[in-house]
Amino acid sequence: MAETLQRNNTDQLTRFSTLFAQTEQSLNGHSTDATRSIRSRSMEVLEKTDFPNRRSEDWKYTSVAPLLAPEWVLPSGSQTAPRAQAPGTGITIHFQNGILDRANSDLDTLPEGLLICSIEEALEMETERDRVIKFLEQEIVTPENAFIPLNGAFARQGIYLRLKKGVRLSSDIHFVHSNESTGAPLLISPQLVGIIESNAEMRITETFQGFGGTYLTNILNRFEVGANSHFEHYKFQLESPAAFQVNNTKAYIHRDSTFSNYNLELGGALVRNNVVTIMLDSGITSNLYGAFLGIDRQHLDTQTFIDHAFPHCQSNELYKGILTDRAHGVFNGKVIVRQDAQKTNAYQQNSNLVLSPTAVMDTKPQLEIFADDVRCSHGATIGQLDENSVFYLKSRGIPDAEARRLLQLAFLQEVLDNIEVEYLHEYASDLLIAKFEKASA
Amino acid sequence: MLEIKDLHVSIEDKEILRGINLQVNPGEVHAIMGPNGSGKSTLASVLAGREEYEVTSGSILYNGQDLLEMDVDKRAHAGLFLAFQYPVEIPGVSTATFLKSSVNAVRKGRGLEELKPVDMLKLLRQKAAELEIDPKFLQRSLNEGFSGGEKKRNEMLQMSLLEPSLGILDETDSGLDIDALKIVADAVNKLRSPERSFIVVTHYQRLLDYIVPDFVHVLSQGRIVRSGDKSLAFELEERGYDWVREKA
Repeated sequence: MAETLQRNNTDQLTRFSTLFAQTEQSLNGHSTDATRSIRSRSMEVLEKTDFPNRRSEDWKYTSVAPLLAPEWVLPSGSQTAPRAQAPGTGITIHFQNGILDRANSDLDTLPEGLLICSIEEALEMETERDRVIKFLEQEIVTPENAFIPLNGAFARQGIYLRLKKGVRLSSDIHFVHSNESTGAPLLISPQLVGIIESNAEMRITETFQGFGGTYLTNILNRFEVGANSHFEHYKFQLESPAAFQVNNTKAYIHRDSTFSNYNLELGGALVRNNVVTIMLDSGITSNLYGAFLGIDRQHLDTQTFIDHAFPHCQSNELYKGILTDRAHGVFNGKVIVRQDAQKTNAYQQNSNLVLSPTAVMDTKPQLEIFADDVRCSHGATIGQLDENSVFYLKSRGIPDAEARRLLQLAFLQEVLDNIEVEYLHEYASDLLIAKFEKASA
Repeated sequence: MLEIKDLHVSIEDKEILRGINLQVNPGEVHAIMGPNGSGKSTLASVLAGREEYEVTSGSILYNGQDLLEMDVDKRAHAGLFLAFQYPVEIPGVSTATFLKSSVNAVRKGRGLEELKPVDMLKLLRQKAAELEIDPKFLQRSLNEGFSGGEKKRNEMLQMSLLEPSLGILDETDSGLDIDALKIVADAVNKLRSPERSFIVVTHYQRLLDYIVPDFVHVLSQGRIVRSGDKSLAFELEERGYDWVREKA
């Protein structure tokens, strides 16, 4: 078994190498040295990195075999998927299968203090170049998993974002990804490097909307949150039923800053999230919220990692999921409180409803505490709907199916209630209700 | 309206009701009293349709229909309402959302059109005011963190919104202070009419000072051992439940 897996990996690696060589050849002359160098570097690392297998503790419940089986091809710029809507008004940047759709994006009307451009463009700028190379290489050279260099090797239109110090952005930024494969399976590689400088405030959303077909969205997000800043990051995942998504999101947080990450996982056949927050100083707050609803044979896996290395930091984590049919949910919440991280407050809760005998939930809180003066708590529950509550609602005339839906919605609503921005709260609720309607149809 | 005949009910093979006979006619208020464990709440639960109780024999006719064959939500549509002894707390569902869903579901079940949002809001506000419930309450999660009195008032609010033809109060008065008790009694008295009946299950005679019953039945060890008018309640208060037990 292990041997077969290894060989499959090797086959897939050969295919990725071939795809890489072909792509580079076709790009000949249309790519700058700097971007080519990052891609080549990524490919070299990828060739030396094994794809994760289930013998590794972090991937115990999720097999990446379905992601390595297809003969992936890269999206061409000429494909036009339907265009998804942003959650609200603001600065909207559209992507079609990971390729920047300039014509429909607000890149020319950016407010003062905000820079958004392609990574390729950023590499041409004296002021940005070194930072971009440093930040990308930092992730790629010693990657947490092989999907990171895979992204680096095939991302062609990554995005670079920088918010200048002291700027409080009044408009939210919406990255809207419309994904669709009408033929061969597509490898889509969105990449975002975001720098929020000190004393700045910003909110971004990412929507991944699928319009059908088989594709893999392999995301790399790398954020730097400067001192005394506030950064909110939302991800609304609505990929197609046959699509895959791997999301590597990592935030480096500086002194006295707040990073809030909200995740709504509704689509996709197999989805893996890695959300990592690195606290680089004191006074930091990190909030991670997630809600997921798995139906049919969906496999939704979230792994979070919070690294407390300095005193007086706080982390709050709430993930809730509902699994029905033959869906499989996974949550692994790692928190390290290092010896110097005294006066840390770290809270983690993962609660799940498993509504069918064939649905599965694996949850694993993992706290490693090396400091002695801290307040940490964690909890994980897996249960069914409370039949007393169902009875109460039915005794008031509400039919069984509606009563159950109301209670399930309420269960996940607890996560959404942490969204303080009204239009985003409403947007997330609407998405959830739509998915419930689909689930009961 | 309601006809219970030789009702036997068990839970986990233990017989709790051992042959109940009771007839409730339109407009009547029946009080059911009895010591703890006599089967009062079991009777209320069976009427409401709780599944953990097994009816081993006997029948319940409600307006000529076999009540035991009716789904729980259908019973509500047909005009049956149970005020719970322990209303369930449901975090994440706002009281207003719940009340709207309930009122519209019952209206639909009775062949009426759903209320327009603006009319619904008006209705909720009006009924809440009658029960001295702060409108802010409606925004809170259903029963979550409510005091005992608040929960019972919320039950009465639901009852007055759903306008049942048979209201069953399952020890609604237990633990209430006099002010809260009066509000509950007022809500019932306002709804009393020649068409509407009530079954008031209680441990204490005090509630019956405010809701004056037409009949009082005393339950002991799963049987009605005495029936009479309201004076029976006073007698019980005077002599205690041991007196009934001895008689039985």
